[in-house]
Amino acid sequence: MKAAVVFKCTRNPVDAKVKLDGTVSWEGVKLAATDDDPAAMQIAKAIAGSDEIIAISIGDGDPAWAAARGAARTILVADAYAEAEASRTGALLAACVRRAPELEVVVLGDSSWDFALVSALIGQLGWPALAGVTAAEPAPEGLKVTRKVGNIRQVLTVAVPVVLAAAAGEEEKNPPGMRDILQARKKPLEKLKAADLDPALSAAETVGFRYPDTPSARLIDGKDPQAACVELLAALRADGAL
Amino acid sequence: MLTTARALGGEVVACVAGPASLAESMQALSFDRIIHWQVAEDLPAEVCAAEIAARAIREAPQAVLASDAASARVILGQAAAALKAAIVASVRSLARKDGRIIVSRATAEGKVLEDIAVPGAAAVIYDGDDMDAPAAVTAATETIPVTSGQMKVVETLAAAEGAGLLTALRVIGVGMGLGSKENLSAVEELATALNAAIACTLPVCNDMRWLADHNVVGSSHSQIAPDLYIAAGISGAPNHLSGVRDAKITVAVNNDPEARIFKFCDYGIVGDMHEIVPALTAALQ
Ligand SMILES: Cc1cc2nc3c(=O)[nH]c(=O)nc-3n(C[C@H](O)[C@H](O)[C@H](O)COP(=O)(O)OP(=O)(O)OC[C@H]3O[C@@H](n4cnc5c(N)ncnc54)[C@H](O)[C@@H]3O)c2cc1C
Repeated sequence: MKAAVVFKCTRNPVDAKVKLDGTVSWEGVKLAATDDDPAAMQIAKAIAGSDEIIAISIGDGDPAWAAARGAARTILVADAYAEAEASRTGALLAACVRRAPELEVVVLGDSSWDFALVSALIGQLGWPALAGVTAAEPAPEGLKVTRKVGNIRQVLTVAVPVVLAAAAGEEEKNPPGMRDILQARKKPLEKLKAADLDPALSAAETVGFRYPDTPSARLIDGKDPQAACVELLAALRADGAL
Repeated sequence: MLTTARALGGEVVACVAGPASLAESMQALSFDRIIHWQVAEDLPAEVCAAEIAARAIREAPQAVLASDAASARVILGQAAAALKAAIVASVRSLARKDGRIIVSRATAEGKVLEDIAVPGAAAVIYDGDDMDAPAAVTAATETIPVTSGQMKVVETLAAAEGAGLLTALRVIGVGMGLGSKENLSAVEELATALNAAIACTLPVCNDMRWLADHNVVGSSHSQIAPDLYIAAGISGAPNHLSGVRDAKITVAVNNDPEARIFKFCDYGIVGDMHEIVPALTAALQ
């Protein structure tokens, strides 16, 4: 089955720099693979079988991430960058998918780093989609997909084309080593410019930053454990939690 | 979410995709109108995505809000594209200013709110607090039956309920700060004194095997909503905290004053859990 994997399209929230005046800067921050990107790759492999996997990404980071994990070739929109408003990135990625009309399945990480990106790609592509996916395999109907919904696991059959947003259960096992990455850099890489794909620029703009007014936690010094626990229990009783 | 939508003024319509019971629970809230796609039992809500998107064009809302549930995000994506709306996640509030919608979203791990001005329609994934908005009168409900789709649910598997975690009113979560399996006995004594269930972080199960898979709480495991969650020796990784975000009160015990969890709890004791846990048991007794 013809599958694409979309990877490294979001910023890691840990990398955001909060300046003294409360503004946030992403200067110098490269787009990163999320915890869920390796799961997307695994699912793409399970679906593709012996077919080639196409990898799609944006940004100026190392594009060999998916190739090192088995993708045959990579399409990269190098001059695009993740934005706070995701519709443009979604449109760019959808335009990349359309360049390979044989594709039947697109898999991407279902990462809470930016859930908007997942929704934006689904909408811009206009394909049916499932999120929270933990496994998928080819089936007579198209695909058999397992996904996690709260504390429940659902098994579904779905027709293709379809977008699957993959949720990882744990850290990636056996990530590729330096040798695989160096080999992967020799695989075909098609570099595109955002202007070639022509999605309209987002009209949304950041107009300010502020600190949230949620009260901060009441911290109790635990140097005297007895006193700290008495203070905590009194507070919990006052809250009705005990 | 309803209260946030109200901030923009105008009618607030609930789009519900699921069984009749879901629409009934929405009727208890103060929506102006409810459109209910009554989905057959063996279909996922996502089968309505294209239809809801087409309806969104007709309704032409200024904003579409969805929770971060997997189905809601898929449907939101289709509606956003249909409306050519801006799409933003981690949204805490909406306001209107100078003809634009101001979408406030949490950024930098929730340390800061970013205000984004959107000239047209906004589609947002809501991540703020849920407030009760009970209905004075039951909103008119339009029901649209959905009996077929390109997806089908063939099996539903409930989570293993070994630790009684999912229903426990009080839960003590232990993390790598536990140090060794032997130290679990002190946690078990506290759990008995508090009538609490015991949960853990993923590495406590996967890497250390101190507790079982059904004890793990977090994005990839159980989601719990106890009245009280005490996190001992847990750093507060997003993957763990997303499993306890519905806890009413969270207490953290950590010996690192800079631990991330102190930014996401109600009470924190900065101290050694090996001293605090037995002291808590004693104080309760
Ligand atoms: C795809 C994926 C999915 C994941 N899903 C989950 C999930 O569902 N659930 C989950 O929990 N994790 C999950 N994780 C792992 C998660 O990202 C964190 O690595 C994990 O939650 C950290 O566990 P921890 O807090 O116990 O350990 P650490 O991060 O090592 O923290 C230990 C804490 O203990 C404190 N400490 C040490 N000694 C003491 C002491 N004596 N007294 C008090 N405090 C002490 C330290 O200061 C530190 O803050 C997932 C990871 C990935 C990649």
